[in-house]
Amino acid sequence: MTDDQAQRRAVLTGIGVVAPNGVGTDDFWKAVREGASVLGPISREGCGDQPLQVAGEVRGFEPGGSVEERYLVQTDRFTHFAMAAADLALADAALDPSAGSPFAVGVVTAAGSGGGEFGQRELQQLWGHGPEYVGPYQSIAWFYAASTGQVSIRGGFKGPCGVVASDEAGGLDALAHAARAIRRGTDAVVVGAAEAPLAPYSMVCQLGYPELSLSSDPYSAYLPFTAQAAGFAPAEGGAMFVVEAQAAAVARGARIRAVIAGHAATFTGASRWADSRVGLAHAIRGALHEARCAPDEIDVVFADALGTPEADEAEVLAIRDALGEHATHVPVTAPKAGFGRAYSGAPVLDVAAAVLAMEEGVVPPTPGVTKICHEVDLVTRFARTCELRTALVLSRGLMGSNAALVLRRGQDG
Amino acid sequence: MPTPLTHTELSALIKGKAGIFIDPQDLERPEITFEEFGVDSLGLLGVVGELENRHGVQIVDGAEMAKTPSEFLTAVNTSFSKVGS
Repeated sequence: MTDDQAQRRAVLTGIGVVAPNGVGTDDFWKAVREGASVLGPISREGCGDQPLQVAGEVRGFEPGGSVEERYLVQTDRFTHFAMAAADLALADAALDPSAGSPFAVGVVTAAGSGGGEFGQRELQQLWGHGPEYVGPYQSIAWFYAASTGQVSIRGGFKGPCGVVASDEAGGLDALAHAARAIRRGTDAVVVGAAEAPLAPYSMVCQLGYPELSLSSDPYSAYLPFTAQAAGFAPAEGGAMFVVEAQAAAVARGARIRAVIAGHAATFTGASRWADSRVGLAHAIRGALHEARCAPDEIDVVFADALGTPEADEAEVLAIRDALGEHATHVPVTAPKAGFGRAYSGAPVLDVAAAVLAMEEGVVPPTPGVTKICHEVDLVTRFARTCELRTALVLSRGLMGSNAALVLRRGQDG
Repeated sequence: MPTPLTHTELSALIKGKAGIFIDPQDLERPEITFEEFGVDSLGLLGVVGELENRHGVQIVDGAEMAKTPSEFLTAVNTSFSKVGS
């Protein structure tokens, strides 16, 4: 790597989490490390009589506590999450947005469905009262791009902005997009994903997914890599990060928490899980190649863990295809089994967990899972202590996208 | 004809539709602009829609592009005054 490449390498300096198992990294990490499960009955208004019953709800979040009233009125819950998480990430990075040029900071988010709750409310106005009763903010609040736009407006970030709509794996693709913006000259990018799919209309939209778990029992609704695997429990929330050019982070004395070392993405078609083996393995190889990382340097894998037998088997085989013999030794974990899959927010929550895991030298367990039925060293029951220099985060989407991200520990920079 | 819109009513409408509070006394100051309070044309369009629905009147096109409260009140109250005349 040349000096110039090192200067423009993307490093992660701030983490902001709004998750069902904790708001803020302290609470989130404590729950993840303990393997706590917070899956439960969906309590949000109007959601009680649907076949989908168990999910990961963000309960300890008062949007009015973190977001100004104008943004509460003008945006959907998924954007409230993104704004709150962005604030936490900026505070963690100690990045003062007003200190430098506004053009030096960009925003990138990924979204899987946009502002469903806001959109439902306005559509009910349309059909219940007429078009003149639809509020003007419907034009922007429901849209996939809303969170990027509002985080940018609210923070005064005028650098390159983008929105990645590439399925759940888009959360990882957004980080790669941010890393590319940094290589091209942007100092910092506020990047991540948050979703709010637990509202009546949004839930109906998910009922067509055969992978969705319709179990009413929180303890068995989402058990990836087990013989009981019967799909996944959805979740709301997500994470935002501050990613910076290494030189910019060093210049302002920021703590480098991790390095975004490599990424690749592939597409293998909706619900074609057996085919995802080849696509995911190809993405892993691509991410390793970009990171100049040998397979045996991977110290932990944060699995996609979809939770159906076919998809879990494909993921285990993909890890083996890409990592070879090392796949039999590397610890694999899926913290999301304890709080659900937040669509595009799922892989970024894994990124947050991976960074925290590397910092502490601890692989968190896969909550609720005891007996696994695949040949993989899945960490269960208790956290496992071991030195973690490099983490691999995997993600697949229901529509067929696959992505892999390699992270290096910040202190090894 | 509806009663002319007052600064107090306008303040409440902006709070409800755009989530932004502007003191009615500030709205009376001739030099203030909506922009300095962060009220954009979508926020004003929400106020226009509410007034139209509430009073069953058509407010002149472009009222939501008003830069100042006095400009906006003039547009609204002129539209009101044409009702039933």
